Amino acid sequence: MSTEEQHGPGRRRPWHRALRRAAGAGIAALLLTAGLATPLDPAPRPAAAAGDGERVLTAAVAQSVDSLNPFLATRLVSTSVLRLMYEYLTDYDPGDGHPVPGLATKWTPSADKLTWTYTLRTDATWSDGRRITAEDAAWTFRTMMTDEEAATANGSFVGNFRKVSAPDPATLVVELERPQATMTALDVPIVPKHVWEKAGDLGTFGNDKAFPVVGSGPYVLTGYRADSYVRLKANPRFWRGAPKFDELVFRYYKDGDAAVAALRKGEVSFVSGLTPAQADALRGQDDIEVNDAPGRRFYALATNPGARTKDGTRFGDGHPSLLDRRVRQALFLAVDRETLVDRVFQGHAVEGAGYIPPRFGTYFWKPSAGQELRYDPGRAARLLDRAGYRKNADGRRVGKDGRPLHYRLLCHATDPNDKAVGQYLTEWWGDLGIGVELTCLDNVTDPWLAGTYDLAFDGWSVNPDPDFVLSIHTCGALPATEEDTGATDNFICDKQYDDLYARQLAEYDPGKRAELVKRLQSRLYDLGYMNVIAYPNALEAYRTDQVAKLRTMPEDGGNIYGQDGYWSWWSAEPAGTGDGPDGGGSTGAVAGVAAGVVVLGAVLVFLALRRRSTADDRE
Amino acid sequence: MTAPPASPAPAGPRALAWRRRRRAAARFWRAYRGHRAGLAGLAVLALLALAALTAPLTVGGDVASVTGAPGRPLEGPSGRFPLGTDRFGRDLLGLLVWGTRVSLLVGLLAAVLSVAIGAVVGITAGHFRGVYATVLMRVTDWFLVMPTLVLAIVLATVMSRSLGTVVLAIGITSWPTTARLVRAQTLAVEARPYIERARALGGGHGHVMLRHVLPNVMPLVLAQTTLMVSASVLAEATLAFLGLGDPAVVSWGGLLQDAREAGAVSSGDWWYLVPPGVAIAAVALAFTLCGRAVESVLNPRLGVGR
Repeated sequence: MSTEEQHGPGRRRPWHRALRRAAGAGIAALLLTAGLATPLDPAPRPAAAAGDGERVLTAAVAQSVDSLNPFLATRLVSTSVLRLMYEYLTDYDPGDGHPVPGLATKWTPSADKLTWTYTLRTDATWSDGRRITAEDAAWTFRTMMTDEEAATANGSFVGNFRKVSAPDPATLVVELERPQATMTALDVPIVPKHVWEKAGDLGTFGNDKAFPVVGSGPYVLTGYRADSYVRLKANPRFWRGAPKFDELVFRYYKDGDAAVAALRKGEVSFVSGLTPAQADALRGQDDIEVNDAPGRRFYALATNPGARTKDGTRFGDGHPSLLDRRVRQALFLAVDRETLVDRVFQGHAVEGAGYIPPRFGTYFWKPSAGQELRYDPGRAARLLDRAGYRKNADGRRVGKDGRPLHYRLLCHATDPNDKAVGQYLTEWWGDLGIGVELTCLDNVTDPWLAGTYDLAFDGWSVNPDPDFVLSIHTCGALPATEEDTGATDNFICDKQYDDLYARQLAEYDPGKRAELVKRLQSRLYDLGYMNVIAYPNALEAYRTDQVAKLRTMPEDGGNIYGQDGYWSWWSAEPAGTGDGPDGGGSTGAVAGVAAGVVVLGAVLVFLALRRRSTADDRE
Repeated sequence: MTAPPASPAPAGPRALAWRRRRRAAARFWRAYRGHRAGLAGLAVLALLALAALTAPLTVGGDVASVTGAPGRPLEGPSGRFPLGTDRFGRDLLGLLVWGTRVSLLVGLLAAVLSVAIGAVVGITAGHFRGVYATVLMRVTDWFLVMPTLVLAIVLATVMSRSLGTVVLAIGITSWPTTARLVRAQTLAVEARPYIERARALGGGHGHVMLRHVLPNVMPLVLAQTTLMVSASVLAEATLAFLGLGDPAVVSWGGLLQDAREAGAVSSGDWWYLVPPGVAIAAVALAFTLCGRAVESVLNPRLGVGR
């Protein structure tokens, strides 16, 4: 759960894949048409302060849920919902992100740091009233260790576990093979054993049928319809205290403008993923607060290093020239990040450097002046010349085999930024003499998993503990066979990287670990397989007449949607009660509907009269 | 009316045929001139065709370049940019003119493709009858009841994103109406006695279809093509708006899609949305007006139909 993809996924499970293939184009068509219309209201009611006194917080979302099963879900929307449904052993402090007690109140390592003992709180109960015990946590971890399907989403956390036991209801003991630095930040939702024992095959269990879904977080899942809504009710038994809102609804708006219109009308209280133009337009509005915060995502250009399985079998058809580091670096040297931040993100992003966004100051790394690949098309051209790709008479770069450099650039059709950046890249690389075919797909998963791409847009959200986003570039994350999914992001496998990764994972000293993580990023930068273009800001807005207060993360100028925790939605406080501007809005709507009915009636009467008057003329 | 030719020296059959065709064309133009709406449509089309053909000279291909964009993103209309700028800072007026090329090209090609398929299916089905016609017309029916847009979306999704794909997607989803019309006309023509005479004189299938049926259904095909162009322009814009066009190609539908993605609707940047919309409507309207005029000239039974 550490890291969630914001949009178009890089990876997904095979069963899902088959389903997608079958439904393929049809789903795409449906999504597209859905994007045109405002989705049907699952339960029409004003966002806050409905007639029956229920205080409902409605947030607009666009990304489809991949699964509500915490063992499988990797997308941002799903993991955000799961954060609300299930408590973890530890949480991140909303202020500076250091681990704070969740279900565990205390955690202590043994002298050799190979045995960790967690003390669980005794006052926490599941939403069905049963007490949360160490056995629940132990069962969750053990399931991930034994069932490969259950390790899909968060397997990287338990890969190093030797034994997990629960000697008594308040004590959890984890024994490790090797030291593991992520023991204080195990981002794994703890599920109720008494419910999940009966779930059956975890690879196919959706966890979205039997409502309310028993959980331990601030909200309980009470309803879900794919691409329509996710409904959650406040959990009065939540150990930290019940949230102030009675209900939280994530309602789907596949179209950004529709979501903004709904926010303006007060149908939803919160919208995320705004475009710069939308944010600027909303900034001047009454009762709307725009939040422009440094994001926790990076936006990168991934290079296919030749897809392969764990045992080294190659598959896919990535362009062979990309195996030459000089070519990869030349490509990135011709990318003017400053222009992209200025034009495409219109200043709402930070220029890319290392792998981890500057928001995580401990681990943020910047290339040194000599190492940095600054925008320099001249140097890019020289590098390509040296690599043996010279321009021919038509001005196109041709390899020694006479094959021109022509790359397929995979982009998410759902992300406007991909398309825009893709157009810039096409022109910059075109000037270098490199052909680019921009392939924008709704479902990039299939070519991605099959390794049938050359370059692709990539992006992950990073957690305060960066282990997960680092783990997806190790050789161990490669798929076992061509058919498997693997945890790998884009098939990177480098021995030096792996060594550094293992060392940082085993390093308990925070300072030394940060140093190793920085060296890791330096290595990744030099390899040129993952080129970070920018760190986009989180652009979001909420209605201040419906939501009085929200906690951002970090508290000082942080984001609201997709936090490393449930802080925003748990802390949200409803504004006023009832007769605010909201009431005025609904009166306006009623008046509008009435006027519409009157006009319609008048037209009908007119037509009827006219029809009668011309009755003689007709046969 | 021109005076009947004195014909002292009898002209050859070819010259006679040409004279007849010239006269028919003149007669057609005289009748067409009487349709004011048709003339207006023609004027708009001529203007747009001129804009499209001269675009390389007036605005140049550089207008579509994002790296060389002259303005700031989403600037309002000004003296420098009469229609403002798009999300990349490109001149929207230039893009609008440049987009004319794609919209007209795709519209025409798709219409020709669709009508060509329809004409071939219609004529052969009307001529051969029997099992062949039954099978062909059932296929036509199947395409007729298929929702065109959905089918086109599916086609555009599974094939690579290029102009050719869009042309193909529109062309092969919109031919059934033409096929039905042409088949009906073919049946009517083939019932005439001179077809029987031609057959008796030894005219084969090819001869009858090409020399007798085709010239007779041609007016219908022509009118249908003109009407189909407007539908194709709209379909192209729809597909591009749904994000199924080639993102690197500037077209009106693509501009609308860009505007939507940039959030121009909610930020009220009308200059980004209105011009391409109006342009699409204008072209569709112009082709429809022309098509209606051509139809009523060629088929007097349709009535006055101005």
